[in-house]
Amino acid sequence: MSEEHTRPTVGIADLQRRLLDVGYIADLGLATSLACAVNIGHAVLLEGVAGVGKTEAARALAAVFDARFLRLQCYEGLDLAAAAYDWNYSRQLLAIRAAEASREPAPDLYGDAFLIRRPLLAALEAPRRHGVVLLIDEIDRSDDEFEALLLEFLGEFALTIPERGTVAAAYPPIVVLTSNRTRDLHDALKRRCFYHWIDHPTVEREVAILRLHLAESPSALLADVARASAALRALQLRKPPGIAESLDWAQTLELLGAERLEERFFETSLGSVLKYPEDIEAARRAVDDIIA
Amino acid sequence: MIDLSVVAARLEGALRSRGVQAGTRRALMFAEALVVLAPSAREELYWVARTSMLPSIDDAVLFDTAFGLVFGDATPHAINSLDHIAAVAGLPADQAAHPIAREERQSPQLGEQSAAGDDSANVPVLWLTASLAERLNERDFDAFSEDERALMLRLINFVRVPRETRRSRRRRRDLHGDRFDLGATLRGTARTGGELVHRRTTRRRELLRPLVFILDVSGSMVPFARALLQYARVAARTRSGVRAFAFATRLTDLTQLLRLASDDDFAAALGSAIRDYAGGTNIGGNLRAFNDRYAQGGIARGGTVIILSDGWERGDPAMLASEVVRLRRLSHRIVWVNPHKRHPAYEPLVAGMAAALPYVDVFVSGHNVRTLDAVADIVGQAAAANVRVMARN
Repeated sequence: MSEEHTRPTVGIADLQRRLLDVGYIADLGLATSLACAVNIGHAVLLEGVAGVGKTEAARALAAVFDARFLRLQCYEGLDLAAAAYDWNYSRQLLAIRAAEASREPAPDLYGDAFLIRRPLLAALEAPRRHGVVLLIDEIDRSDDEFEALLLEFLGEFALTIPERGTVAAAYPPIVVLTSNRTRDLHDALKRRCFYHWIDHPTVEREVAILRLHLAESPSALLADVARASAALRALQLRKPPGIAESLDWAQTLELLGAERLEERFFETSLGSVLKYPEDIEAARRAVDDIIA
Repeated sequence: MIDLSVVAARLEGALRSRGVQAGTRRALMFAEALVVLAPSAREELYWVARTSMLPSIDDAVLFDTAFGLVFGDATPHAINSLDHIAAVAGLPADQAAHPIAREERQSPQLGEQSAAGDDSANVPVLWLTASLAERLNERDFDAFSEDERALMLRLINFVRVPRETRRSRRRRRDLHGDRFDLGATLRGTARTGGELVHRRTTRRRELLRPLVFILDVSGSMVPFARALLQYARVAARTRSGVRAFAFATRLTDLTQLLRLASDDDFAAALGSAIRDYAGGTNIGGNLRAFNDRYAQGGIARGGTVIILSDGWERGDPAMLASEVVRLRRLSHRIVWVNPHKRHPAYEPLVAGMAAALPYVDVFVSGHNVRTLDAVADIVGQAAAANVRVMARN
């Protein structure tokens, strides 16, 4: 690790600014976690309810460093062949047949041409420092076996392919894990990661985010939407709206020609922000609190 | 350079004394992050500490007090150097080592129980004879003395566990599968010099359905809850996909504890994990919390949910009903265990129970080891017949 320290550090404030430049507003806590992940060779685990911008944070990080962005979506039953590497069997077979037909010696069947690189392996082949951002999305959906596999990967940033030997990363990738927290991750995995909980944004931050993405929209409308979203989150809904929903809502309202969030627009646009009939019902009942 | 690992270790100690297990590894990460990032303001220091040392958002409040204790509230706004951090942390941190909080959190109820567990280890071994086991099998969970309880908990280790399966959409290679697998067959030819020799097939995978326990640990339910927790532990040891939750006034996820190796550790850990042990009940509210946070995310999808409760609802029965309906849609089967059902004249008149019952697939008493053993059967039967079961005692 000692040679790591001599490399230029990306400071917290610096990273925060650069994230803003690529269109992602990170608060100090998130910027600190990401800065830790960037400067120190450990992954960062971002937890939070759906729709607060966990995935987007990783994407923005890749944009900041102009790095290759690799995304591994987790699901139950995710295995090595889908996560790390696989062999292109049909191509190997064709190569054998071709060699037979032309009476030439068979090519190296475990050469580069036959290796299918999945995200974990690809992440080890960064061409430079900060050259790859690896997003392991919704890790809570995968099973224990995959967590164990990941443990090894995150510890050493190396993968062993029996036919070829060990592939180690010359430049460790920046690794971002996200979890919706439908289950608790194994502590061994969490101990290897920096941790940050992303909360719903404050109204001011949400206005800023909406402005950044929808620069053309009337800013009074955006402020209304941010306030209304915050009010909806306070209602204890089944699925409180995230930032993604706020963005959808603002866009829908703009399509409807709204300048402000008025009651007549509220009714018709509610489907873009709430996805359960019970939630829509609850919002209708509390309409006065939300719009006022 | 000043040794920042001391600072990190101090914070780790302060966290540990509050029951938050951060661990040495995190402390090392914190020290390293301090060196690399050199935080220049108290706020930055806070976030660096938090991202390295906080294990879970649930511990955020405890973390804040530990942080305040180690770094003091008086840390100046701007931090000039790393030495400065160490100096600040060095001042008021001596109180940190005292395990004050731990004693507060240990609830007396469970403290007694785990102490009883220790005692029974010293008592001469009670041999588990067939007739004794037979009697204990029939005895109600709330009629055990402390000595016998340990024995009863051991008996639960032999109770069968439901193992319902469902067919997955994904296919897996199978010698006698029902679908020809062209890809694998062709790939297989690589081994036989390009000749088609072995025909390969696949079959849909059988997946174990998740098993979720939601246990009421309010006053009257404690003896039964303890037995069912042991049952959940057995289940977690013998199969995958088992989760357990406890609630009285608030919902606690106990899944991690199920894996503890020894029963005594388990009993002790329960005491510190469940902060509302033997408190009041709010079934609807807790089911709602469960649905919002866990079921909606899909942990019970396609699974069997075992709810232990007497249905004595202080809140609104209508809410309980609507949450049970919701859980039903998010799971495969709901088994409701209500010990009061053991009385022949029992009628589900309690408002909460009456409200929930129409939406429950299997309703059992589960008040002793024998009836608990029947749960696996009943779930199996229900799976075969796909009907709703009102089990006889």
